[in-house]
Amino acid sequence: MSAVTRLRAGALPALAAVLVGGVLTVQIAHGGGRYSPLRPANSCIAPPATSVSTGIDGLTEQLVLTGLDAAACQIGMSREEFALLLAEPGTHTDAQINALRSGLLTAVDSLKAAGQLPRASQLAREAVDASNLSGFRKTAIRAIPDSLIDKTLTTDDILRRTINDLDLRAMLANLSNRHDLTVQVDAAVTKAVQERLADLLHCC
Amino acid sequence: MRRAAAALLALTVGCVLADSAVVTLALPEILERLHTTVGQVAWVLIAFNLVLAVVARPAAWFYKGHNAAVLCAIGIAVFAGASALCAVAGSLDVLIIARSVQAVGGAFAVVGSLQLLVAELTERRGTAWWIAAGVFGTAIGPMAGGLLTDAFSWRSIFIVQVPIAVLAIPAALVTHRKSVQSVADDPPRHRVLIQPNIALALLSAALTAALFLFVLLLVDGWRRSPAVAALTVSAIPLAALFSRPLVRTLRAGPLAETTSGCLLIAGGLTGLALLPSADLAWTIAPQALVGLGLGLTLDPLTLRAMDGRMPYSLHGGWTIAARHAGVVLGLAILTPVFTADLRSAQPPAKNAITALVLNAPLTPEDKISIARGLADQLKQQSGRVPDLDPAFEKLSFSPAEKPVAAELERDLNLQLQKAATHAFRNAFLVGAALAVAALLSLITLRRRSAQ
Repeated sequence: MSAVTRLRAGALPALAAVLVGGVLTVQIAHGGGRYSPLRPANSCIAPPATSVSTGIDGLTEQLVLTGLDAAACQIGMSREEFALLLAEPGTHTDAQINALRSGLLTAVDSLKAAGQLPRASQLAREAVDASNLSGFRKTAIRAIPDSLIDKTLTTDDILRRTINDLDLRAMLANLSNRHDLTVQVDAAVTKAVQERLADLLHCC
Repeated sequence: MRRAAAALLALTVGCVLADSAVVTLALPEILERLHTTVGQVAWVLIAFNLVLAVVARPAAWFYKGHNAAVLCAIGIAVFAGASALCAVAGSLDVLIIARSVQAVGGAFAVVGSLQLLVAELTERRGTAWWIAAGVFGTAIGPMAGGLLTDAFSWRSIFIVQVPIAVLAIPAALVTHRKSVQSVADDPPRHRVLIQPNIALALLSAALTAALFLFVLLLVDGWRRSPAVAALTVSAIPLAALFSRPLVRTLRAGPLAETTSGCLLIAGGLTGLALLPSADLAWTIAPQALVGLGLGLTLDPLTLRAMDGRMPYSLHGGWTIAARHAGVVLGLAILTPVFTADLRSAQPPAKNAITALVLNAPLTPEDKISIARGLADQLKQQSGRVPDLDPAFEKLSFSPAEKPVAAELERDLNLQLQKAATHAFRNAFLVGAALAVAALLSLITLRRRSAQ
């Protein structure tokens, strides 16, 4: 085989190798091989949850998101995996329900420590405005001074009582029914407030 | 007249071999219109290739002692009839049966056309026309199918084949006298060359990743329309056309061409496995490598398996059997890989989607509504990459929230594209490994030849 023939025979494979190498190098340099879905954050070192909503809606969202992180961390999965697990129809295990309750309680502590819990008077005013109470009752409640409400009720205490009292299994089953969910949460909050007032009356 | 007849026969060969991949882009529409499953619709592809692989060699044997022109005309007529039946098929079972019959007719048409083209032109030119028509059909199949599906419907793919085949019947019969003479001569029988046929089978299996899986990624994974997908995959036949002037300029020899081609196909498929984004522009260079490789390999390998070997129809039949057995092998290896990866890609994709919805700067009520809509879409399109747009179309957002919702929708679709691209990665890498296996088989061939 002459040198020219050998050179010709080698030119095409060499050109092919250069083309392949060039294409793969450019692709890898631009992130080729790393184009994969977002990885969920570690639920144990999750950043604080935020909400665009204000008042009760905003607080609920922050509580739920922070609580999901804490619960997911407790059972060793991501917040997203835990949320999808809870959203699945069917029964949930005691471990999952206990983790959720414990996570929500941890969230109350975290929000309190971060100074993100609103005063009880703020929540009470908003709840009254949104409620179906008669005009007379609304006026009567609005007449109670904020200082008295804040002295009597503390947000973290009411939230803890509500969370401990909530039937979380029933709440998860009601996730797709906003009305039933609201009725259930309202009942738990009312009961928590009543218990708090009863405790105060007993002790003083 | 002779040239017109030869051109029509070559066109028929192109049509039959294009049928191997022509319905790839139409599969999602067939799936929807014939109310079937992903696993079942794959048989529209598998049945054709499997039957063609099995029948090609016996068909070539059947030509011995029979009139090639008449047999070829019958084969073309069966192919035309079965194509018409495919076009009107009302159920998947009928479509799969019609595709199988189409493959039987196609096998006789392709093998017979080789004999007639050689009789009509010279041995060298006839073989060259036959090979070129096959390579062109293979390369252009997915693009043609995609454009027809988008412009009309999946049925139009089969309708357009009928007049081409019908015109080729008299073209085959015109060559009657000459083919009778050629059959009357008792040609010597040459041994079948196994190694180029093995390389052809392995390369065809590798090309399955580019010609089938890549179009599935475009249409099902990235949700591109069949027309956009067809235009995108046109990079492969265009690059294949460019291989001829390159070969003429470098005159490197058949072995250098085929080894380079295998390297280019392996590199192109690796490139498709390592895409930096779902931007179509990134797919052009890897596809061009595959196309260039296809042009450099199929032609010389087929020629090597057939050149000067008698009878033509038998050796041509072997190359067709090898190529389509390779397609079936590719589908058999790659389909479980990518379907398993697609299944395992679902949890990370769901997690990514959930994270984006939970973190979206929207009100809790909107988030819940979006989550419900997304869950419905995921349920409806179980087993496929879901279309999330309907989940947003049903919702109404305030003017302030509209841009946020639109951004969320874009981000969610991006996550799905990432998940789908990631899911196809291993299948493309397996395709690349098959091309490397073809390269190794050629190197072994070279060593044995040297010895």
